[in-house]
Amino acid sequence: MTESVIRNKPGMASVKDMPILQDGPPPGGFAPVRYARRIPNKGPSAMAIFLAAFGAFSYGMYQVGKGNKIRRALKEEKYAARRAILPVLQAEEDERFVKEWKKYLEYEAEVMKDVPGWKVGENVYNSGRWMPPATGELRPEVW
Amino acid sequence: MADVVDAAGEPIPTSSVLMAAAKHIEINCMPENVEFLKCKKKDPNPEKCLDKGRQATRCALGLLKDLYQRCKEPMEGYVGCMYYHTNEFDLCRKQQQAFEKACPLE
Repeated sequence: MTESVIRNKPGMASVKDMPILQDGPPPGGFAPVRYARRIPNKGPSAMAIFLAAFGAFSYGMYQVGKGNKIRRALKEEKYAARRAILPVLQAEEDERFVKEWKKYLEYEAEVMKDVPGWKVGENVYNSGRWMPPATGELRPEVW
Repeated sequence: MADVVDAAGEPIPTSSVLMAAAKHIEINCMPENVEFLKCKKKDPNPEKCLDKGRQATRCALGLLKDLYQRCKEPMEGYVGCMYYHTNEFDLCRKQQQAFEKACPLE
């Protein structure tokens, strides 16, 4: 019923004579649509891009090298300072060690005084060089 | 903890004091230090190198006392800065310049 109300043509004989109501293009057709690619061919060439990247990279590596030189100088300063004060610290430690070692030798002499043929304290190794005591018993608070 | 000398005027050889004076020690105490290191290289036994060690320590402590008497303020500033930044030279440049201007490295 609704179709005939909408598409009514006065004076039609049957429903088959109704005018056709269609959605279609405007008269004259639509405007033409561009669908082809248009990628422009301007801008830097491959060589230009490569040179720019290579230039940035080499500038960066140059800065890295400069920074490394500065850092190495700082480290050298620190190491030189450590080398300068090393004898003072080693001498202090030697004094402390000699005191502890003498106490230890006395203790050993007292403990082993009844063992025949025991030479107090010296050299568990046969190479002739002095080796520091290996057991760690001289500084139990450290170990 | 950042004192250069104790109550009696004797220098305290803590790490910040020694690192602050390290360049001076390197230059002024070089003979004693080299002798001690040569003795150690020959024989690492501590008992054999005690006297040279004492010379090196005496030289370093005397140098510390001398530096303290000659330029007390810059040295205390430098040692304090070293103590605060745990012996980083790069963070104490200002105090280092002041110290080396007052007591030059010769």
